[in-house]
Order: sequence, then structure tokens, then C-alpha cells
Amino acid sequence: MLEVNGLIKRYGKQNAVNNVSFSLNGGEVVGLIGPNGAGKSTTMKCIVGLLRKTAGTITLGGHDHLSVAAKKLFSYIPETPHVYDLLTVKEHLQFIAQAYGVRDWKPKAEELMQTYDLMDKQDKLGRDLSKGMRQKVSICCALLPDPEVLFFDEPMIGLDPKAIKNTKRIFGELKAMGKTILVSTHLIDSVEAISDRIMIMKDGNIIGNDSLANLKAAFSDGNESSLEDLFLEMTKDE
Amino acid sequence: MNEFALLLRKDLYILINNLKLILRNPLRLFPYAIILGYFGIFYFRRGNRSTSTVDPDQMKNLQDAMEQVSPPDVGQLTVVGGLTLIALAVMLYLLFRATKKNVTFFTMADVNLLFTSPVKPSKLLVYYMVRSIFPALGGSLIFILYGTAQLNDLFDFNLLNLTVMAIGLALFFFILSPIRFLIYTLHTKYGIIPQVKSGIFVTGLLLLIMILIPGLMAENFHEGVFAWIASPWFDLFPLVGWSRGILSFVEHENGWKVLGLMGCYGLAYGLILAMVLKHSGHYYEDVLESTQSQEETKEKIKGKRTASESSMSLNTKKKLVFKEFGTGATAIYWRNYVHGSRQDFHPLFGLYGLGFAGVGALMAVLSRFDWFSHWIIYGYLILLIFIYFMAGISRVNVGDLKKPFIILIPDTWASKFWNLIRLDLYQTLIFSVMLIVPTVLIAQLSLGLILLFPICMICFYLCGFSINLTIQLGFDEGWDRKLVRPLIIGSVLIFGILPSLGLGFFVAIISKQFVYGLLGISFGMGLVAAVMLHVAFDVISRLEFKEM
Repeated sequence: MLEVNGLIKRYGKQNAVNNVSFSLNGGEVVGLIGPNGAGKSTTMKCIVGLLRKTAGTITLGGHDHLSVAAKKLFSYIPETPHVYDLLTVKEHLQFIAQAYGVRDWKPKAEELMQTYDLMDKQDKLGRDLSKGMRQKVSICCALLPDPEVLFFDEPMIGLDPKAIKNTKRIFGELKAMGKTILVSTHLIDSVEAISDRIMIMKDGNIIGNDSLANLKAAFSDGNESSLEDLFLEMTKDE
Repeated sequence: MNEFALLLRKDLYILINNLKLILRNPLRLFPYAIILGYFGIFYFRRGNRSTSTVDPDQMKNLQDAMEQVSPPDVGQLTVVGGLTLIALAVMLYLLFRATKKNVTFFTMADVNLLFTSPVKPSKLLVYYMVRSIFPALGGSLIFILYGTAQLNDLFDFNLLNLTVMAIGLALFFFILSPIRFLIYTLHTKYGIIPQVKSGIFVTGLLLLIMILIPGLMAENFHEGVFAWIASPWFDLFPLVGWSRGILSFVEHENGWKVLGLMGCYGLAYGLILAMVLKHSGHYYEDVLESTQSQEETKEKIKGKRTASESSMSLNTKKKLVFKEFGTGATAIYWRNYVHGSRQDFHPLFGLYGLGFAGVGALMAVLSRFDWFSHWIIYGYLILLIFIYFMAGISRVNVGDLKKPFIILIPDTWASKFWNLIRLDLYQTLIFSVMLIVPTVLIAQLSLGLILLFPICMICFYLCGFSINLTIQLGFDEGWDRKLVRPLIIGSVLIFGILPSLGLGFFVAIISKQFVYGLLGISFGMGLVAAVMLHVAFDVISRLEFKEM
């Protein structure tokens, strides 16, 4: 479903993403983890077209990632929620429904607002929402078009415990529905349970890309270690 | 602990680090070097001329003779009075703003690090209040250099009078901050904002009377209007008058007067400081919010943070129900439409538009009864065209381009671009027509204006929009933009806008008809807007999203 080949993103003389290649199969859930500044968000932003890649090719469903056809296939939940000051919560969903041509969007929107406790906030303006509320709106906007591929960039930041629990549940439901998901996060336990595969990034490179069991087998010398231990072991400075 | 030494050391470190940053990237100084060169050219040219052509004795004799024969100079009175009036308006506005929004001398770093440290609050306040003169002085010096560069042929500028003038201007802007802080302090302690507002209102009213009475007493209103506020005794009026007295040192060359007025400032400052210290109490429990909002404003100016989309909104509480307009990029137009509905009472023609159109109609009525020349209306139309040009320049700072949706929405860039500017074009067109039709019909102007004015408005708007879009998207780094922005604006101005205006001016002079002048401008600006739109459209597909 997603093919990334030789992706490079350079800022000045520094490579934020250093010639990485990977792919995501349809229905696969992949967790992208790494320390601060590893290049996770940059990689994701290059894939969804928010940043211009310096080199490499990216295809989604066989289409170039910047094409209209590719954009119809995915949704993106950014690290920082961006909402319009003068649009209400409900109008944000109406906006997305139009942008993605979602028919009969209202029942789906209500269901999402119910899940994220936004029903009583549906007529509130974006400028009056707290950061957590904005993040919830951002997630609802991404889920409304029912895309084939979802890119979550630190989706849990700013959410309350109930919303975190619901997001984890939605990950499970999306996985059951056969959606392809790439989740970048620092909350390792949130991806440990649902990920088919883990990608670990450090200094712009992918230093591990396999199922959790295989990664453990390869790096933890047969000890019973958690993904957190494995992550700390793999990303420690030499 | 010696708090002043501590604070001074902190500022010295900041200064040194700033200098190091400049040394690491000296190109940052390039725009300033250009500005200095620009000033230098004017001073140098004047210096050459003054040594070769003018005989000072002859000049003095000529001036003496002129003073004896010429009547009071209405032109000079108007210039002095007009500038004084502007300064009074600025002063009243800034004081009025202090009743709405507090002034703060601090940064968030101060709030987080100094306010929580064992530094005596009063000393912190005194240090920052005194320190605030330096930015005011620096800004004033640049402004004075800029202003006097143009007037160098008329006055004999030297280091002394330039310094005095800079101090005069700096003191005016410097003293306003402590006054505003005092207002805030008194308000938080005694809740006196209504009284302060009344005081400012009454001062404004008195000043209005001081302008109206001599105007009505004079033979011609415009000749008498500034008789009082432009007279020498007005130099004693606090702040505006004091600064005027100091600024006009280049003319009167009376050092004692300047020292006396500076002394007035010193006394006023001492009094304000004493009052602030007496009434401020635990002031920094209250300044967190204002410091935060000031920092946000600074970030917006630097472009690090998106300007608020909801500022100046008149209708945010309105409950709206809009049907869908279509799919894909049309959603951007729908979003702008909803946004516009909350900003004003109608997204296509609102209260602001009605106000401006009303002014046009009023001018037309006055012109019809020969109270106004047609050229005043033409001036107003040109002012509106300029405002729309500036609106175009600021448009890309707000809204869609700062959100990821513009990139993520599955549609072509052509469609996104069109939907991005669609509402603005409709608004501009409708506003222009609503303004120009009644104005032309009432004032019996040329009917051609009904066609040409809207075209001109749209061309200038698109031109401003394209310039800023190109700069924002085409150049990554902040200082790149700082360098390139004046370059691009300058180039478009020199090779596009000025020739168009020149063409219009030329045609207007020959034909003695404003409408033909506007035809010339429309023709030139149509070409400029087309070229700039082409560039902007090419650049928009390179849009990158930056997390703020």
C-alpha cells in the first residue's frame, strides 16, 4: 500500500531523514518509534506531502504520494492540532466531508463526536477549544473520510485518559477493518499491543524494522525484555 | 544581592550572544547596510552641494528679507499643526489602549526565571522601566535619520541637532509605556478604568475644541484650524508639546528651551516611577497574561506564529447553517465563506464595506453641493486601492496556508488556488461596485469609473497577494525573506507598479481626466497582476507546511 524508496530530507547541510526505504502492506499496523529528533515526524510529513522531499520516491496505492488519487486514500493526524478559529467543531467535520466528498456524513460525524465527548462542544468555535479538544477534533476529521491508510503523528499528546483509551480502541477497530496504519509515538505501550511491525528510527536512519518478536530475538540476547527495554537498548548512544 | 548588576549582566550576555550570532552570519547586516547607504547618499549629496553653491551670509539676508515681507505662512502652520495633530492622536490612542490592554516590559523568560527568583520586585521594575528607553532611542534615531535624509536640503543638520531630535522623539514614545503601566497598576488596585477613559475622552474633546474654535473664527476654516495647536505656546503641552519643542531645536536652536523641556520629561518620569512603585504592590502577579500575549504578538510579527484568524470579528456568536458548496477544493471556499460570515454580517458585503462605501457616498453628496472637490473623492479611491493592495499583502498570513488541509485536500493546485482567493475576489468586486456606483451617480463623475475602479481594486489586490505568497512560499529562511521581500516588492514597485502609476498620471495630466488616468493604471496593473499571479501559481505547488 505504501512504498518509500531512498527518502532523503535535508535541511541545509543536515539530513533529517537519511535515505530511508520501507513499505507498508495493506491492513498492516506499524509503529514508528525513536528518540526526539530521530526524523519520525519529518518522514511522516514527507509521506503525506506536507514537506518537500529532497530525494526518493513515495507511492501510495501505486500512485505518486502527491497525486490527487493518493490523497484520497489517506488521512493524517498531525502532532499539533490545527483547527480554524472561526469554524465550529461540527463545521470542521462538514468542511472535511466536502473536501473528501464524504456522502451522508452526519451520522458518522455524530458517532465520532460521541466517542470523543464532543457532542456538547459541537457548536463551539475552534479558537475556544483547549489543546486536547483540538486534538480530538483533528482525530475526528481524519477518521471521517474512512481512509484506507492513516498516518498518526503523536496522536495521544494532549489527550485525556479516556480519549487515549478510545484512540487505542479505535486503532484496534481500524486494524480489524483492514486499514493500514503508521503511528509515530513516544508512548511505546500504545503501539506494542496492536503493531504488526515496529520501525525504530535514530538520527534519520531506520535502525530496526521487524515484528516485535523478531526484534526481541535479534537484539535482546534471549532475555525477557519489553519493547521499551529494546528501544532504549537500540537507541542508546555508542 | 545587587539586583541591578545581576540584571545588567544578563542583558550584557544577551547582547554579546546577539553580536556573536551576527558575526556567525554577517549577511544579516546586509539590509541594514543598504538602509545606512541610502541615508548616507542623501547626507553626502547634501554635504557636497552645501560647500559649493550656497553662501550662508546671502542666505541669511534672503531669509531676513522674506520674514519682513511675507504674511504668516499658512503652509508651514498646516504642516506643524498636522504633525502635532497626528502626535496627539497617537498619544490619545496609546493611552486609550492602555485601558484595554496592559503594557508589559517583560518577556516570558523574565516571568519564569526572574519573577520566581529572590530579586526585589521594585528593583526589577525600575530596571526594566529605565531600560525601555534604549529601544525607543534606537528606533527614534533611525526614524530621525530616515526623515531628515529627505529634508537635508532645507535644514542644517549636524550630530548635535540630530541627537537632540532623536531624544525628543524617543522621550515621547518612552514615556508612554510607564504611563500605560501606571494606568494598569492603578486600575488593578483601585479599579479606575472608567475614570481614566473619561479623562482621555475629555482631553480629546478639549483638543477638538482647540482645533474647531480658531478654525471657525478664521476667514477660511482650513487656515485657522491649526492656529492654536501649531502656535509656539503649545510647546508647553505635556508630552506632544514638549517633544515638539525638542524636535524643533534645528529651527529655534535654543538649548535652554530644550533642556527645560527635557527636565519636564525627567520630572514626569520621576513622578510616574514614584507612583508606580507606590501602587504596584505585587505587580507581577498580574503581568503574566499581558506578557504572554505580548510574546505571542512578537512571534506573529516575526512570522513564527500564525496571526489570529478571529481578530476584528464582528459576528462570532452567530449560529450558521450552510449547505455544502461542492467537493474537493471547493471546501476551501466554503470554509472562507463561513469564516467571512462570522467576521462580518455578510460574507460578501459586510459592515466594514458598508462603512467605507458610506464614506464614499457622503463625499459624493458633499461634492455635489460644492463642499468638496472631485479630487478629494479621487484621493479616497486611491487610498482604498492602496488599502486593498496592503490587504492582499497581508492575506497569506492568515488562514488556509497555515493549515495542513490546503496540502492534504485531494484536489489540483489550480483548483485550490482559485478557491483560496475566490471569496476575496467576490468581496472586492461587490464592495467596489457598491462604493463606486452611488459615488459616481451622486457626484456626477465619469461613468467609466464604474468599470475601471473595480478592475483596479482587483488588480492591486491580486498583485499584493501574489507578492507575499511568492515570498512566503519561495524562500525558506526568515532572513532570506527579510532580504528578498524588499527586493521583490521593490522590483515589482519599480518595474511594475510605478510605471503603471506613471502611465496613469501621464494620461491624467494630458487628458485632465481622472478616469483616463485610472484607465492607464488599470492597463498597466492588469499586466503586472497577470505576471505576478503566474509566478504565485507556480510557487504555490511548492508549499511546505511548517509546524509552528
